[in-house]
Amino acid sequence: MTHKGVGIFAEWTDGGLHPVALELLSEARRLADELGTEAVAFFLSPPEGEEAARVLIRHGADRVIWAAKGSFSRFLDDVFTRLLVRMLEAERPEIMLFPATARGQALAPRVAGKMRLGLTAHCIAFEIRPEDRALVQIRPSFGENVMAKIVSLTKPQMATVRPGVFPKAKEDPNREGEIVPFEVPEEELQSALEVVSKRKRAGRRVDLSQAKVIVAGGRGLGNKELFSRLFELADLLEGAVGATRPVCHLGWVSEDHMIGVSGHTVSPRLYLAFGLSGAIHHLVGVRNPGLMVAVNTDPEAPIMKKADVAVEGDVREIIPLLIERLKNLKGEGDEA
Amino acid sequence: MRVMVCLKPVPEPGSVKVDPETHTLKRESATLILNPADRFALEAAVRLKEKTGAEVVGVMMGPPNAAPLLKEAYACGADQVFLLSDRAFAGADTLATSYVLARAAQKLGPFELVLCGKVSLDGETAQVGPELAAWLDWPSVIWVKSLALEDGRLKVARLTDDGEEEVLVRLPAVVTVEPESVDPRPPSLKRLLEIMDREIPLLSAADLGADEALIGLSGSPTRVLDVYTPTYEGKKEFLAGPAEEVVNRLVSLLKERGLI
Repeated sequence: MTHKGVGIFAEWTDGGLHPVALELLSEARRLADELGTEAVAFFLSPPEGEEAARVLIRHGADRVIWAAKGSFSRFLDDVFTRLLVRMLEAERPEIMLFPATARGQALAPRVAGKMRLGLTAHCIAFEIRPEDRALVQIRPSFGENVMAKIVSLTKPQMATVRPGVFPKAKEDPNREGEIVPFEVPEEELQSALEVVSKRKRAGRRVDLSQAKVIVAGGRGLGNKELFSRLFELADLLEGAVGATRPVCHLGWVSEDHMIGVSGHTVSPRLYLAFGLSGAIHHLVGVRNPGLMVAVNTDPEAPIMKKADVAVEGDVREIIPLLIERLKNLKGEGDEA
Repeated sequence: MRVMVCLKPVPEPGSVKVDPETHTLKRESATLILNPADRFALEAAVRLKEKTGAEVVGVMMGPPNAAPLLKEAYACGADQVFLLSDRAFAGADTLATSYVLARAAQKLGPFELVLCGKVSLDGETAQVGPELAAWLDWPSVIWVKSLALEDGRLKVARLTDDGEEEVLVRLPAVVTVEPESVDPRPPSLKRLLEIMDREIPLLSAADLGADEALIGLSGSPTRVLDVYTPTYEGKKEFLAGPAEEVVNRLVSLLKERGLI
């Protein structure tokens, strides 16, 4: 039997559908239409998830394969893997997309290992190869400053996608589809894991994905002190601070601020890049910025070619001047 | 208790070349370093050893020239180190890599725990840990920032997207360790001198009893079709000159666009 259909893992989290499910669904719908097949959501949730299953249909799913159990409010790596493997064996989709969330990243490779499937992490785009319907998976390549096109020789062809990479699917209140209940025998619920407590992160969360303005810095800032001044700048612009991976590894700022393959994906109205070269691993995390401004001493740096406004200059001079200038502007505004 | 720590040699950023035909990495060409995230896994293992007397076994799949990295791991507290090295391992994706590590866990075992770094510096997939667990049919927990033994189970704090969970895990298990959870110790000079002149034991595919169809490129279900450098084009403004002037022009530009 051939594999058919484009599947997504729809994540239930914190008493609701994880918003990334609708992003995966928009891409699954697009791929399914191109392949002339259906989009299928694989969904494990407690019984109150029924409305969420209908939400998935209204956002483009033709069918929702739904396993409902009270215990599914908590994620158990082994139980979810076991059930998803059974679902995939029964449904045989040709493509399967997972969110690169904490749960998706725990689940997708376990499923791949169990079913001996290829899996491509953190894809930023997909194409269909017309001659054989293969899913071409695009992601930044290892280490080097290049993008790679990858195919899987096994099916379903599986990939993970970070939140923020694809637009949310649009809702069609009249859209119809089928919710297919998936039987879960009690013995499948045995787990080697026991979640004993759960708590939300304390303190202010860095919500880069929602930020309208992002001020980002790279190693070119030279030291932690200058990097810290980006927070002043971000406050003046009512934005958030982003960082490249090397900067996080240097300890100038926590990984919460990291943008790129292994960090956040952002789409601000204004993206200001200071002293960062524009490595692909970073730039893939910046999706459709309204305006990208780069400040760099090297006019040949990739970021200077990518930016809408390229400023050749020394960040050590530009940052303090810009802060001062914006402070003055604010002062004038307050007086007015 | 015996703990296996998976260690990966990664090319020092900027030193790797890609094979123009297979598009796989030409690792021979690169300067190798120990994957930074794996140091945290090693440190977590060594701390377990200090608390419980666990034996720590460092295992690395890599070319023969990666052996010095295992000496470093020994100097950081691993009791035994092994290099899984065979030409037939070349071109492995995460599935084929995790299979070889799983074979090592069985061959060198029994182990109660396998620790991995959260993510590698080069591939950045974070897939090998959970895939390894799948091969072994063991439970796995990722993004773990602390771990301790409790009544024969492992008690871990794992990060979630918006906080953390405390989870009890039945052993044997595979755990990926969150960086920054522990401060990796520097190599001990005494231990470095101890291992300096010793040969690092090599294990081949045959030594591991690995199925040839599951290793290297033939055991890898993914293929890199092509690599390319994205080109950036479009209309752009270029500002240069004295800093003060540039900042003024930038500020007026942002004002014009209603961004400030």
